[in-house]
Amino acid sequence: MTFLSPLRRAWAHRALVAALVRRELAARYRASALGFLWSLLNPLLLLLVYATVFRFVFAPRADVRPYALFLFGGVLAWGFVSSSLLDAIETFRSNGPLLRKTTVAPEVFPAAAVLARLVHLVLALPILGAAIVFAAVRGGVAPGAALAEFPIVLALLALTVFGAALAVSALAVHFGDVRDVVANLLTLAFFVTPVLYPTEAVPERWRWLLRANPFASFFSGVHDTLFHFRPVAWSDWLWMAGTAAAALVVGSAVFERLRDSLAEEA
Amino acid sequence: MSGAEPAIVVAGATKIYRRYARQAHGTLKSALLSRRVSRRGEGGVVALDAVSFTVAPGESLGVIGSNGSGKSTLLKLLANIMRPTRGSVAVRGRLAALLELGAGFHPEISGRDNIEITGLLLGLTKKEIAARFDDVVRFAGVEEFLDAPVKTYSSGMAVRLGFAIAAHSDPDVLLVDEVLAVGDEAFAHRALERFSEFERAGKTLVFVSHDLGLVAQRCRRAIWLDHGRLAADGPAGEVVARYRERVAAEEGERRSAVAGLGGRIGSGVASIEVVRLLDREGRPTARLRSGEAATVEMVVRAPEALSDFVFGVQISTVAGAIVFGTNTALEGFRAERFAGDARVAIEIPALDLAPGVYALDAAVHARGGAPYDYRRDALRFEVTAERAGTGVWSPARRWSFSGGVRWKD
Repeated sequence: MTFLSPLRRAWAHRALVAALVRRELAARYRASALGFLWSLLNPLLLLLVYATVFRFVFAPRADVRPYALFLFGGVLAWGFVSSSLLDAIETFRSNGPLLRKTTVAPEVFPAAAVLARLVHLVLALPILGAAIVFAAVRGGVAPGAALAEFPIVLALLALTVFGAALAVSALAVHFGDVRDVVANLLTLAFFVTPVLYPTEAVPERWRWLLRANPFASFFSGVHDTLFHFRPVAWSDWLWMAGTAAAALVVGSAVFERLRDSLAEEA
Repeated sequence: MSGAEPAIVVAGATKIYRRYARQAHGTLKSALLSRRVSRRGEGGVVALDAVSFTVAPGESLGVIGSNGSGKSTLLKLLANIMRPTRGSVAVRGRLAALLELGAGFHPEISGRDNIEITGLLLGLTKKEIAARFDDVVRFAGVEEFLDAPVKTYSSGMAVRLGFAIAAHSDPDVLLVDEVLAVGDEAFAHRALERFSEFERAGKTLVFVSHDLGLVAQRCRRAIWLDHGRLAADGPAGEVVARYRERVAAEEGERRSAVAGLGGRIGSGVASIEVVRLLDREGRPTARLRSGEAATVEMVVRAPEALSDFVFGVQISTVAGAIVFGTNTALEGFRAERFAGDARVAIEIPALDLAPGVYALDAAVHARGGAPYDYRRDALRFEVTAERAGTGVWSPARRWSFSGGVRWKD
C-alpha cells in the first residue's frame, strides 16, 4: 500500500501536524485586530458580490433560489480547494530550514497546509448554519437529514485535495512555474465546476464534459447536502470516492518519487 | 542498550547530488524538453564516496575535514534528512540532530509554542515535552520571554533555546554540527558540560567541528573526511595530528607558490634573506613536538653598514593571537655595527606550545620602529603533542595525588 504511505506518515506525526496547523493559524492572525474573523470575512464578501451580481444583473434559475444560500456552500468549499493548493505550493519554500535541518517527515507540511484551510472552512460553518436557519424561517427552504452527509463529502474532498497537495508541493520545489500553472488551472476550473451554477444548468449533451471534471461530483454533493437537502446520488459517491483514491495514488507516487530531493532543493 | 549492537552503521554510503540540484529555478519546460526529471543519471557531484564505519553505543566520534569534504552531507545522512545514493546508513535509537540551532523556529509565534513544535519535530510526545518544559526554559534562560514571539529574541537566546530543546530530548544518539561556534563563552561551557553528561549516560555522540583541539579533547575516536572519502579513522589525537600535518603541508605548498607576496614591508636598508625553524639536530623543519628544543634562524643582509638595527621575531596562532614576541632591543642588546651578511639565531631549549599551527614573523628594523624588512607570516609550523590541553601553552607537567583518590588504568 505504498500509495497510502504519505497519508500514513502524516497520521503517525499527527501531533506535529496539529501543532503546525495551530502555528499556521496563530502566526497568520497574530498581528491582526480581527483575528480569525478575516477567514470569515473573505467568503462573506465574495458571497455578497456573487449574490448581488447574479440577483440583479442575471436572473438566477428558479431551482437555485435563494441564490445566496445556494452559493454559500460551494464558494466556501472552492475557497478551501484553491487556497489549500496554493498554500501547499509555498509550504516547502517557507519551511525550507525545517526541512533541511531536522529529521521531520516532509508530508507533514502539505498535510498541515490543507488542514489549516480545512479549519478555516469549519470555522465558517456556523455562519452557513445561521444562513440556513434564516432561510428556513423565511420559508424558502426546508432543511433535512441529508445535511448529515455533508461531513462525508467534505472528508472525501479533503482527501482529494491532500493528494493533489502532495503532488503540487513536491513539484513546486523543482519547478518555479508550478505556481502559475496551478493558479491558472484553478481559475479555469472555478468556472467549469458547478460552484456558481447547478449541474442541471448544463445542457444534457455537455454533462459528460462536466463529469470529466474530477471536482464536479463534490460540488453536486455540496449542493445536495447544503442546499437541496437531498441525499447524494450513488453515482456521485462513487465519483467522489474514486477521485479521492486516484488523487491519493497519483499524489503519493509523485511525492514518493521526489521526496529524497526535497531536503536538497527546498 | 547492549554493548554488542553498534549504535551507528554506515556501509559504503555514497551521496551524489544530482545535477538538477544545481539549478534552483528550473522550469517545467526545460525539464520536459530534457526529460531530466525522469532520469537518474550518474552525472552529479559526489559529496560522499563509499564511506564505511561503525560507532559503538556510548562512543563519541569526532568528524573532521576541510570545507566541502562531505562532513555536512554525512551528518544529513545520519540524521535521515537525506538518503544515500548507494550504500546504507543505520542509526539505532532515538536521534537528535543539532544541525542549526533554532532552525525550526517560527518567528511570529511564542517561545512556548516553538518549544512544543521543535520537541515534536525531535520525536518527543506532548507528554514528554510537558515534563521537560521547565528544564528547557531554565537551561535556555528565557523565562521572561516565553510568551513573546521568537522574532523578538536575540540570536543568542534563540540559539540557547534551540540547544536546550535538543539537549533535553533524551536522545540515544546526538549529532552536533559546529554549534559551539555561535554562542558566547558561558553557553559553550554549559553545552560542553551537557555533552559530558551524555557521555556519562552512555549516549553516542557524533561531533563535527573545525575546532581540532576540541575534537581531540572531547572525542576518543575521530574520522577524517577528505573530498568525500574516509581518509583516516582512529584515536582522535592521532587523526587530528595527521590532518594537521596535511593541512600544514598543503599550506606550505601554497605559501611557497606565493613566496614573497605574503606581507613584507620595509625600506630595504637591510633585508631578511632566509627564515628557518630548526629542530634540536639543527635540521630545518615545519613540525615539532611540544617541549622539544627549537631554533629560529634568520640570515640578514645589510648592503651598507648600519649602526641602528634591531632583530625581532614573533610567534602567533594562525587565528592571529600573539603567543610570544621579542627583539634584541627588548633583551638589552645595544646596536653598534651591522654590515654584510649575518646569521641571527634564537635558541629555545623547550618549545612548550600547545598542539596547533603557528605563524612566525621576523623583522629587522630601526630602534624607533621604522622597518627595514618586516616579514609577516614568514613561515608556519605545526606543533604536535600527545597530551591535550586548552590554550597555547603546554608546559612540562606532572600530576600527583594522595589521600582518597584513585584512577582507573
